[in-house]
Amino acid sequence: MKGMKRVIALAITLAFAASLPLYIPEAFIYLLGLALLFAILVVSWDVMVGYTGYVNLGHTVFVGIGAYTAALLQSQRLALPTLPVPASIVMGGFVAALVGLFIGIVTLRLRGYYFALVTAILPLVFMQTVFIWPDIFGGEEGFTIEHGLAGSVVEKYYAALLIAFVSIAVMLLIVNSPVGLKLKAIREDEELAEAVGIDTVKYKIMAFVISSFFAGIGGAAIVHYRMVVAPDLYDIPLMLLVILSAVIGGLGTIYGPMIGGLLIYLAKNWWLKEVVDVFRFTALPINDDVILYLILIVVAILMPEGVYQGIKEKLKKERG
Amino acid sequence: MGLAEVIVLGSIIGGIWALVASGFSLVFGVARILNFAHGTYFALGAYVAVVLNSALKNFMSDCFSLILSIILSIFIVGFIGVAVYKVCIRPVKMYGVMIILVTLAIALLFEEILLTTFRDTPISVPFPLSGVVSIAGVPVPYTRLVALVVAILVIALLDRFINATRTGKEILATSQDSEAAMLVGIDVERIYVIVTFVSAALAALAGILYSQIYAVNPQTAIRVLIYAFAIVILGGLGSVRGSIIAAFIIGFMQVAVSIALEARWSEIAAMLAIIAILIVRPRGLMGVE
Repeated sequence: MKGMKRVIALAITLAFAASLPLYIPEAFIYLLGLALLFAILVVSWDVMVGYTGYVNLGHTVFVGIGAYTAALLQSQRLALPTLPVPASIVMGGFVAALVGLFIGIVTLRLRGYYFALVTAILPLVFMQTVFIWPDIFGGEEGFTIEHGLAGSVVEKYYAALLIAFVSIAVMLLIVNSPVGLKLKAIREDEELAEAVGIDTVKYKIMAFVISSFFAGIGGAAIVHYRMVVAPDLYDIPLMLLVILSAVIGGLGTIYGPMIGGLLIYLAKNWWLKEVVDVFRFTALPINDDVILYLILIVVAILMPEGVYQGIKEKLKKERG
Repeated sequence: MGLAEVIVLGSIIGGIWALVASGFSLVFGVARILNFAHGTYFALGAYVAVVLNSALKNFMSDCFSLILSIILSIFIVGFIGVAVYKVCIRPVKMYGVMIILVTLAIALLFEEILLTTFRDTPISVPFPLSGVVSIAGVPVPYTRLVALVVAILVIALLDRFINATRTGKEILATSQDSEAAMLVGIDVERIYVIVTFVSAALAALAGILYSQIYAVNPQTAIRVLIYAFAIVILGGLGSVRGSIIAAFIIGFMQVAVSIALEARWSEIAAMLAIIAILIVRPRGLMGVE
């Protein structure tokens, strides 16, 4: 019964998402597609952080690696063979996963904060490569590619919907499998997990590689969606947006971060711009980023256990 | 020539990094706070000093206003650090991810505010003396010499403060076991406030010295943070002495890399050094659990 209900809910959601282009303006559909791809990044972050408890602060590195790999496979900047678009997106995922494997082997043998610190440094290091070899990576401005996901905005939106659906479904299957159970055991008590015979290092690395793979897929898909690759895909503000979405949605739930990702992305790119206009006449140093960071700090202080948990507990109290 | 240059210039920049990293390490070791806003205190130190100096210059002699604004800036940034701790960090202290999220948001918030008010033109705190001395054949301007002397003096003072005073011993006790420290009657919350103040003030001093030699712009905050991370990983998390040694190693490496290749390679070199040290000695040079 429960399985049946889920299938029906999923079918309704998908049908709703697929019907959106019929009654929503094209500019908004374009943004919605990007939000779907952004949700992949948030969910893939959750696979590592929400399920093993290890805080990965360098997720955007894998987004960027996927993005630049896919973009270079679409251009003549390196003497690389030009692949069809779907293949270059998958390649983006694979290269990101490979880098993730290497970093995981070095850092995940250690417990605690070392992983967070090392991954925090990574985005800046990788960003430097863009500036050291501007002929290849296009420097600050990045470069444009010729072939996108599809021709029209609506077709692109459907492609983004498909990629997001497949990626998130696969990640959901993984965390609900026995592998996901072992990851949760590591999160709850790593020593105990080890004591009952779980090879914790192996599973941590596995989660990290899966997480980087989908981050790479997301980054590659974003590049093919907006046709430009640039260092903003490596950058720290994107990282913060991913963390914010996942935390607001509720860590370790997949659905929560997915919804958080969609809402936060749309709010930042659509609603926040209008809020800023209200402040324009004052001389205060305010732009959309300042407001976003302020909201973030206030929300975190008021509901440190996450918005989802916070609201749930408030409701519980009111019911008595 | 090459080696002398690396040692002389490297120990100057290493001294500044030591001020930054020891404060970062202290806060982590004592309060288990990974403070991503630490680089912000570095940048704020320079900005507050410059703003104060241009205001105070109208009332007193140049030299006096400079010294006064530097001292005031260090205290102001120290209190900003305490305010950030009390308002933003303490409510989320039980949640590790939230500390990172909040302090990172604070860092980016200050960066945006500095960018919108001062644009991204680099600023420098003025320095009253001009001139060059020669150390081992390497010409060293007075700015850098003073920076090195101040850095070493302050680090020595910090070491004395932690290891020889009563408050310092309370800090050490708290870092070893905060619950046991509470049991023997140490006001742990007071220790956290002291440590945050010292850490932010050290970062501000480092920012002022750095801006006298080079220049500081709003984006410096994040770059400095990355170096602080690299240093504490190399030195071992939570070990102040390890951080000081690692700071000089990173300083030497930075100068060597910028002589041999180019300055923008130094982040990549630092990353390779970290990966190497984590493979050989997973807990860093002097790391504790």
